[in-house]
Amino acid sequence: MTAVPHSTSTSNRSRAARFRVPRIPVLTALAGLFLLAVAACAIFPGLAPADPGAIDAAVSLEGPSGEHLLGTDQLGRDMFSRIIAGARTSLLGPLLLAIGVTVIGTLLAVAAGYFGGRTDTVISRLVDLLYSVPALLVAIVVAGVTGGGFGITLAVLIVFGLPLHVRNLRAAVMERAHLPYMEAAVTLGLPTWRVVLTHLVPTIVPNMVATFFLVFTYGVVEFSSLSFLGLGSPPGAPDWGRMVSDNRATIFTNVWPAVVPAVAIVLLAVSTNLIGEYLQRKHDQARRQR
Amino acid sequence: MTTTQAPAATRKRPGGIPPGLLRYVLLRISAAIVVMLVVSFVVFLFVHAAPGGPEYAIAGKLATEEQLANIRQIYGFDRPLLEQYWTYLGQLLHGELGESVIQRRPVAALLGEAAQVTVPLLLFTWVIALVAGVAIGIVTAYRAGSRIDRFALGMTTLGASTPAFVVGTVFAWFFGVELGWFPALGIGDGGLDTIAHLVLPATTMAIAVLAITTRISRVRIGQILAEDQALFARARGLGRWWTLRNVVLRNAGVQLITLSGTIVVSLFTGLILVERVFNLPGIGSLMVEAIHDQDMPVIQGVTLCAALLVVVVNLVVDLLCMLVDPRLRVRLESAR
Repeated sequence: MTAVPHSTSTSNRSRAARFRVPRIPVLTALAGLFLLAVAACAIFPGLAPADPGAIDAAVSLEGPSGEHLLGTDQLGRDMFSRIIAGARTSLLGPLLLAIGVTVIGTLLAVAAGYFGGRTDTVISRLVDLLYSVPALLVAIVVAGVTGGGFGITLAVLIVFGLPLHVRNLRAAVMERAHLPYMEAAVTLGLPTWRVVLTHLVPTIVPNMVATFFLVFTYGVVEFSSLSFLGLGSPPGAPDWGRMVSDNRATIFTNVWPAVVPAVAIVLLAVSTNLIGEYLQRKHDQARRQR
Repeated sequence: MTTTQAPAATRKRPGGIPPGLLRYVLLRISAAIVVMLVVSFVVFLFVHAAPGGPEYAIAGKLATEEQLANIRQIYGFDRPLLEQYWTYLGQLLHGELGESVIQRRPVAALLGEAAQVTVPLLLFTWVIALVAGVAIGIVTAYRAGSRIDRFALGMTTLGASTPAFVVGTVFAWFFGVELGWFPALGIGDGGLDTIAHLVLPATTMAIAVLAITTRISRVRIGQILAEDQALFARARGLGRWWTLRNVVLRNAGVQLITLSGTIVVSLFTGLILVERVFNLPGIGSLMVEAIHDQDMPVIQGVTLCAALLVVVVNLVVDLLCMLVDPRLRVRLESAR
């Protein structure tokens, strides 16, 4: 690591130095801004300047202009508005996936790592079994067999996304399960739920945050891939992955309608990835200085 | 020196496979067979899980009542489930995967044709992604913190966050349409033309997987270089290449083999997407079309192939790791 400010050098400076704004790398800050923008679009779809479904054959496949900031697709729909309208679907899947994997993963990890014994054996065996199964492939097959649906896809991605994170979180739990303060809490006669909730879980929050962002990033890739294959949202819906697939045929005349949603997907995934890595780095630094 | 004595000591061991290893190998192979049996049962159940029931899965949504009764008779859907599975398993072992509902041709033949596109693509990208990934991993680990290292790290972050179909679409547009270097769609008419058609899909796949291979090999090689043995080798004045071969690659062997197995599996998933982007008639396209047509026998066939690939790759990886790393074999003996 280069140019990590050393703790001794900062303590020599004036008190004001301690209260300065934390130094956030430019890229990470931009990533945060982009995420905020997407979140705003997801919460207020009314921000779109035009109706995302409005068809106007007169302006089919136009390039970017003052009227249509990101051009129009084959049916003359405003791409900028469609991107904004697609924010909600593009954010919802990965968000629920990340929440699901983090929460269920933590539960399983605590059960396996803290209680140990037979619970640990069962959970660890299951994790080993599912570990090498590719989640996206299973999601594709399940969508094909059952006819698909958001709920079932989400469930498949959660179940098959769990193993890696259960393993990591379990290791974090085991590291702390027998530290003196934990044993002190048990000796004091605190009920198990309280030991786990107030003494164990708070210490692995940084690991949970890292898991959350990592899963979110993969979720963006997985959900958009499924949409691209036509196994996600219904035809014509303003979903980013779907838009890339729908507008693929027109890249020979106008590449904007296919590339704009593609770039949006990449920006979303890269942003969450960058923020996750930044938080992870901060946490590692804080730990090293302790 | 221990380095010169160690090989002699292993050679002195009496011939034959140690019992712990033999037990492990047999256990591992039988586990793979059990997993395949379970998978085949689940795949068999696909027909029954289809919307509308098994008759509709075979006949399609427009079938008349008479046709449905006929199908029930032919396929034996009125018989007990286990009996049906037994018949299905027998057919599988004879290489019969059923007949496509839409194309009215044996699934095995369809798979064979599609494999002619998918398998070369898979092998080609597998080699590129592995060799290039490990090479970049070595270079960046040796120059940790340098400009190259940080650039590679940034690119892997970008690569891991970019779906394969996005890379493919951008490539098809830039190199296929804008620059016109390579054909952007289809498979071509054999020979050189086909190879030209495969350049963009292969590069797309390789880039998508390169992020994983680079990152993992970079981390592992960095760890080994930080170990005392690497420092010692350098202090003794042993050459760079010698250290690379005998210290770095030997120690990273297990991780690199595991990695090469992992990427075969992710390449297979990625190919489904990339074949769609470039309109290649491979196994992925076969699968996606079958899903849209609800062509259940084809879905079953492709799923079985994919499962077989995953199981066999994992088996081979585990056995190769045992072969490559004596420490793992020793642990087997002592764990008994």
